[in-house]
Parts: sequence; structure tokens; C-alpha cells
Amino acid sequence: MSLLEQVGRALIVWSEDIGALVLQWWAALWRLPTMLPAVGKGTRWVATLDQTLLIGVRALPMVCTMSLSIGFVLALEGAAELRRFGGLIYVVDLVTLGFLRELGALVTGVAVSGRSASAISAEVGTMVVTEEMDALRVMGLNPVEFTLAPRYLAALIAMPCLTIVSNICGIFAGYVFLAFSIEMSFRVYFREVLEAILLRDVWLTLIKSLVFATVIVQVGYLEGLRVSGGPDAVGRATTTAVVKSIFMVILTDLASTWFFYMMGWSAAG
Amino acid sequence: MMTKDMSADPVIRLRDVSVAFGSKRVLDSVTLDVYRGEILVLLGGSGSGKTTLLKQVLGLMKPDSGSIHINGVDITSCTPSELDAVRRQMGVAFQAAALFNSLSIEENVALPLQELTELADPTIKMMAWMKLWAVGLADSAALYPSELSGGMRKRAAVARAIAMDPEILVFDEPSAGLDPIVAAGLDNLILFLKQTLGMTILVVTHALESAFRIADRLAMLYQGHLIAVETKDQFRTDTHPRIRQFLDGTPDPIARGEHSFMASYLRAFQHEH
Repeated sequence: MSLLEQVGRALIVWSEDIGALVLQWWAALWRLPTMLPAVGKGTRWVATLDQTLLIGVRALPMVCTMSLSIGFVLALEGAAELRRFGGLIYVVDLVTLGFLRELGALVTGVAVSGRSASAISAEVGTMVVTEEMDALRVMGLNPVEFTLAPRYLAALIAMPCLTIVSNICGIFAGYVFLAFSIEMSFRVYFREVLEAILLRDVWLTLIKSLVFATVIVQVGYLEGLRVSGGPDAVGRATTTAVVKSIFMVILTDLASTWFFYMMGWSAAG
Repeated sequence: MMTKDMSADPVIRLRDVSVAFGSKRVLDSVTLDVYRGEILVLLGGSGSGKTTLLKQVLGLMKPDSGSIHINGVDITSCTPSELDAVRRQMGVAFQAAALFNSLSIEENVALPLQELTELADPTIKMMAWMKLWAVGLADSAALYPSELSGGMRKRAAVARAIAMDPEILVFDEPSAGLDPIVAAGLDNLILFLKQTLGMTILVVTHALESAFRIADRLAMLYQGHLIAVETKDQFRTDTHPRIRQFLDGTPDPIARGEHSFMASYLRAFQHEH
């Protein structure tokens, strides 16, 4: 197979993936209202609540630990450089903006990819293997409504919350570093942080987290649906889901950052 | 309006259904009628195409060519909402039971009623209980699928399949993975449903004993071809080599290379002793 052929093939596979993801996302989007309490059908929101706990609350320790570590490392490495210019105070800006514009959403995206893209693909894959998906279809019930929509809505709720927590943890880690190294008071640090934050950045990071939530759930679900054969296929699907999900989170991070920049929304421009 | 004259009018009507996966023909021009109120058992070995045929009848896969009419509606060319309407007249008991693990048995049975009807909750609860009673699981309503034995799980799947009072009931391998006593119990349940509720029942299986116990007619699928559709007695005395092989349980001759190796080995063995 020539190089050109290989590239062509990879492109076809990728465009198939993207096409399937977009169609599936569109189908899920239409079903979201049925998941809401009061507006939606019956007690469907209970499933969403369960999933929110699974995707969101259970991920808290992991997201916190990761953000604290990265925030601390960022402050430490930044301080080493900035100290040379006597600009140690800019460590605050570095950590705050680094997290708000980029790391908070990204760290959460990677953590949730690892936890939930795998979990979703495993659950859905098992449902395919045990014919539960077929059972839903032959009952005339929509699998998207029963299995995808609650998870998607849960992720849309959980991801922004986790992203906020991640930002708080990361920025707090910056304080911990400065408190130890130059005994900066919390009040000074807090004032510097508030000065660095732009409301616009907060909105953009929340939008990013919604995009990541979409990517993670749709990729996990699609890989689960693609399971065919026996239980060993579920294991493979789980691996594929995590790899693809992290990969696509980082790509969409690039795409959305570039998009915000081109639209003139991001403060970087 | 559909005519409701039964004997001549097939409930499930397959005409020249062909399916190929790549270059492999899985179903080749299958034509089959299932009449109202009968139990038709579709027999076939592994890889004979019976699972594929089942998926066609349930509308989970579309054939490459041919037509499948269920109660007069061609499910290969109808709209998704028509397909949903057809599916409401069908109940399916899957091989692995396919119960939803997050719901109790009672909730599993109640699910289609809750989702597809406007009935009040107490009515649904009572109907679910009645279906569970019919399959002998009235005492286990609150249990979860993981807490049930294989036989009970299949019974629960039957209860869910009959929840909407379907005209047509489809069983995929009802006796697979069950011990003979439990399997016989399930066969009795299938007969009971036919006699009391007058359902049309299609059973896909490879278990001969159970097939002879419940069938009105038997159909045999071999490598994608329907090689026989006949009554129990005709089937028993059929002389078609593949049917004989299936009935007598003789293995396929081993592949040639292996065969000659085995033969020479055996010859050598005989010479030595």
C-alpha cells in the first residue's frame, strides 16, 4: 500500500467517525428536553441525576488532585524563570490565566475522558452484547433517549462544575507555592487573582467544558455501540474510547481556542 | 383495514429474503409463512443464518432483497413510525434475556407499558404483576435480574415480551443454557401462551427435543437456504441428508487434509498392533 493510499484510507475512516459522531450528537440533542424534571417524561430525570453523580461527583477527588499538582508545578516552574526578572508577582497571573484559559478545562477533559468515556463505552458495549439495545429497539423505544440522552445531559451539567472546581484548585495551588516561597498573604494573592480574571475568560472556559463534555460522551457512546461479538470486544472498545476521547479533547481544545481567537473573543487577541 | 381471516393469511410472510455480508451469502432467497395461532420452530445449526433471519423479522436489519410482511405491513420499506407500530404487536424474548439490569423484574415488565401506553401507574403495576404471575414469577417481582437464575431470567424476559399483549411472540434460543427440566418448563410456558392467549409464536432454536415438544410446524435452515418447512411427523421422517444429519447428530466429515492424516495415522496404528 502506497503512502498516499494509507493517508486516504485514514482520512476516510476519520471522516466516517466524525460524521457518525455529528449525527449521534444531533439525535441526542433533540432528546435532551425529555430528560428534564417537570418538562420531560415521568421520572427520566432520576437517571440523569444518577449519571451526574457518576460523571461529576465521583470525579471530584481525581480532578482536584490533578489540578492541585499541575497548579503547583506551573507556579514552581514559572517562578524559577520570573524570579530572574524580578517579576515573581506574575506567577499569580501565570497560574490564574493558565488555568482559566487552558488548563482547567483541559485537565478536567482528560480526567473525565479517562473515567467516563471508558465507563460509558463499557456500559453501552455490554448492553449491545447482551442484546439490551435490540430489546429497546424491538419494544419501539429509542435507545438514544434511554441510554445516551441521560449521560449527555449529566455530562453537560457535571463538566462545567468540575471545570470550575479544577480552576479553583489550580489557582489555590499557586497560592500554596507562593505562601511557602515568599510568604505571600492570601489577601494579596486573592486580590491579584481577581485582577487577572476577566469575565470573558470564565465564559469561554465554560463553553469549552461543554464542548469537551459533548466530545467525551459522544465518543464513548459511539465506541460502545460499535461493539460486536463477545465480551472481549467490550474491553477493546473501552481502550479505543479513552484514546480517541483524549485525542479529540485536545484537538477540539485547539480548534475552539483558535476559533475564539479568530472571533476576537479571547483576551489573548 | 387488514382482513382478520386467519387460516390462509400469514401473520409473518417472508418472500425471497436474501442477505449477504460482503461476498458471503447468509440468507439465500428465503420464503416462509407463519400462520396465525401456530408455533413455527426455525431449526438450524450454528452459522446457518437463523440469527440473521430473526433480525430481519424484528426489523433490526434490512435484507438486500426480498420483502417481509408482518400483519400486512412490509417492514423492509415502511416508515420508522410504521415499524414502531408493527413492533408493538410483537414481543421478543432474547437469548440472553436482555433484561435491563438497573431495573427490578417488575420495572422491566412495566417499562413498555409506562413508555408506550397512557395507563395509570396502579393499572400498570397490576398488569405487570399479572404477566409475572403468568410466567410463575409473581413472588420475585422485586428482585433484580442479577439475583435471578438463568431459567427465571428467561421467564422474566417472556413476561416483558407479553407485557403489551402482542399478537406475535418471538423466541431466540429459549432453551440455550438451561438444564433439561427448566427447559421443559419453558416449553410448557410457550405452549401455555399459545393455548390461552392464541399468540402466533416463532421460535428460533437448535434444540431438537424442545422443537418437537412445542412445534406445529418446523422449518430448517442450512447455509442460508430453507431446506424444509413441514409438520412434525413429516420432519421426523424426512430423508433430506442434512435433516437426517441434524436429527441423528452426526458430525460433518473432517476436512480432507486432516482426514487423510487421521486415516494414515489410524492405519499406522493398526499395523503396529
